[in-house]
Amino acid sequence: MAEPAAMSWRNPWVRTSVGVLVALTVVAMLVGFLWLPSAQADFSAQGLWASICRAAGAPSSWASATDAARTAPPVSTEVVLERSMARASGSDAVGRGATLALNCTMCHGAQGLSGSDAPNLAGQYPEVVVKQMHDYKTGKRASPIMEAIGKALPERAIADLAAYYADLPKARTAPTTYDEPLPALVRVGDPMRNIAPCISCHGGVDQKFGTPWLEGMPKGYLVAQLEAFASGVRRNDSQAQMRNMARAMTPGEIQEVAAFYARKAGSGERRH
Amino acid sequence: MFLARKLVLAHFWVAFAAFLGAIVLGAWQMYIRSPLSPWINNPEHYYRSVTAHGTVMAYVLPTLVAMGFGYAISELALKRPLVGLRWAWAGFGLVVGGTVLAAGAMAAGKASVLYTFYPPMIGSPIYYFGVVLVVVGSWIWVALMSINLRAWRKENPGATVPLAMYGNLAGAYLWAWTSVGAAVEVLVLILPASLGLTDTINAGLARVLFSWTLHAIVYFWLMPAYIAFYTLFPRAIGGRLYSDTMGRVAFALFLVFSMPIGIHHLFADPQVGAGFKFVHAAMTAMVSIPTLLTVFTIVASAEIAGRLRGGTGTFGWIRALPWDRPMMLAVTFSFVMLGFGGAGGLVNMSYQLNETVHNTQWVTGHFHLIFGGAIVIMYFMVAYELWPQLTRSAPLPAAWLRLQLWLWFIGMLVLSLPWHWVGLLGQPRRMAYFDYRHPALEPQAWTVTMSTFGGLILAASALLFVVILARAHFKRAEPVAFTFGVAAHPGLRPPFALNGFALWIAMMIGLTVVNYGYPIVQLALLKEASVPIVPIGSR
Repeated sequence: MAEPAAMSWRNPWVRTSVGVLVALTVVAMLVGFLWLPSAQADFSAQGLWASICRAAGAPSSWASATDAARTAPPVSTEVVLERSMARASGSDAVGRGATLALNCTMCHGAQGLSGSDAPNLAGQYPEVVVKQMHDYKTGKRASPIMEAIGKALPERAIADLAAYYADLPKARTAPTTYDEPLPALVRVGDPMRNIAPCISCHGGVDQKFGTPWLEGMPKGYLVAQLEAFASGVRRNDSQAQMRNMARAMTPGEIQEVAAFYARKAGSGERRH
Repeated sequence: MFLARKLVLAHFWVAFAAFLGAIVLGAWQMYIRSPLSPWINNPEHYYRSVTAHGTVMAYVLPTLVAMGFGYAISELALKRPLVGLRWAWAGFGLVVGGTVLAAGAMAAGKASVLYTFYPPMIGSPIYYFGVVLVVVGSWIWVALMSINLRAWRKENPGATVPLAMYGNLAGAYLWAWTSVGAAVEVLVLILPASLGLTDTINAGLARVLFSWTLHAIVYFWLMPAYIAFYTLFPRAIGGRLYSDTMGRVAFALFLVFSMPIGIHHLFADPQVGAGFKFVHAAMTAMVSIPTLLTVFTIVASAEIAGRLRGGTGTFGWIRALPWDRPMMLAVTFSFVMLGFGGAGGLVNMSYQLNETVHNTQWVTGHFHLIFGGAIVIMYFMVAYELWPQLTRSAPLPAAWLRLQLWLWFIGMLVLSLPWHWVGLLGQPRRMAYFDYRHPALEPQAWTVTMSTFGGLILAASALLFVVILARAHFKRAEPVAFTFGVAAHPGLRPPFALNGFALWIAMMIGLTVVNYGYPIVQLALLKEASVPIVPIGSR
């Protein structure tokens, strides 16, 4: 390394280099924190110190008190999806869930595979069941039957039901190969209409946390839900993820993707 | 060369083998999203490929080239055997081991995070362990370069550090400090989330820490190219280096200014204040100074060569230059690409203009032109210059070299100029497919086709490059002794401050603290910045 004299203030190289750098930094800071903010009305509205704080990335308050829309945004769901919801539960939870699930068989099928147009629950991801039951319970998702059932169920019972249904075998279908002629919306979406491919969240390419397993679902159920999302009747999808997809779809496309997922029904769906 | 011959050769071969694989992936990416191919059915395959291409090109290739070239410089410029050869092999082993781990995770589809580590996307811990090993291996190199210089200074008290070694150490110290940002991000924020110890992550802080590394790493990539400009080019064209001191000034300025400017990558990020964004933009502009100093000095050095060869008049010396020599061609191509890419870079770093091109294909065009073009073409020349020494072979066939360089130059322009154009029109980057049937996109489809051909030309050039290097192993001969370029006034002593690094490192660290200190502390304390993680390939 350099000799001590090199780092001495008496060395003109040190004086000049450090002096120029400090001057440059100070000028840049003055421009960035004082001059430029002064040109923006919203930056400088609350005085000089507030404008410096904003330029530093720390506004004195993150939203103004009068901004009612920001303080009370519309809440689509009160469920916060946590990774812990997906952890495998013990057999005791599955057993309790199996007992509780006897109440569900009328619509959702003895093995969680529906014979009616109610959704299949067999093999459904646990956080999906937990979220939907909570949304029914809090009225964020509407159904005369399910809201009533949801309100009667304590937290523990919901977790046990989710554990039980996750434990059942899914409506397995032939594995999706990418050679088969999947509908375009399922496979690649429609970028210019901002429709993401179904398989980027619902399994195939990726399975995003909180998105349900769809294969083998009754077609009537899928069509009804997509229409409900499109019209805004159903709005318990956080950040309007599904509403934004469904709104851009034509009725024909809704039929097409619903038929695609429904046609992949497993043997469990055979009508009794 | 004394001890490091096999070591350097190992570094270069791993680097260039990985490079050849990654370039095939790149060409495939260009083809699969062009109108020549139907839409890719599984976009994840595209992103997996992008991750692998980027990881190899951005981390593995430049790190290994800088390390290998650094070891070679240490022996060739200091004229003494490398100290710490075993440690150097250990560092190499870590880099290779890390690359293998990361490659496994990427190939399994467990780490398609696009090589930029931007949370809340989180890949497999194996991928991050692999990247950490690569970085730790390179830190051994940093330490060894410093130790070797110290040993040389002890033997030659008061002597002037050779320019090549000065640049080498500037690159090493720059890398040591710049890699701290991503290292902290990976160790403190990403790995705990990736290992499942936490399910939220401070995404704002992670992005700021990554920006710490993200821009300065570019100058670490660039150092071997600049060392080649200053110390290989003048000799290869039969001239003199116009100014040795100017080279030192450029290296020192890179140390100071390349580091605390990375927030210009975050202009669209809401978590960073506008004031800091402006300060970083202003500091980024300062980096153009060492670049322009270098262009001036190297062109002046070429003028010396042209006039020594009998060229006269204002432009006559240009015609007298040895255009048949690969180095002449390579540096010319490099400067042309540096010119286009640098001009584009000024657009990127301008706070306002950036709005137009942010996250568009323009950005991809920019860094391919600067790094893949101006810098990598000099990596080729570094390998070509050292190869006869490393393999004890006859001089490489100049006609083949010229063909390879021409292909690279043309391929890179054909690839990246359409990207710039279509980026201005608004094409987003990182798309696995485009809907060319749409009336708004159909007129732009030709640009993607053109880039595909650029990619194919580049792949052909890369293949030729590897063939030239491999062929040399079978053409044994005693090589001509290696020398670096000589300054126009050899023996002039540079100012004291430019024979060491203490002042520049102190300024680098001081400026980093000023420019990054507040945003990092503020975001680290901000509760709202934590968001749920999005694991990749977890189900």
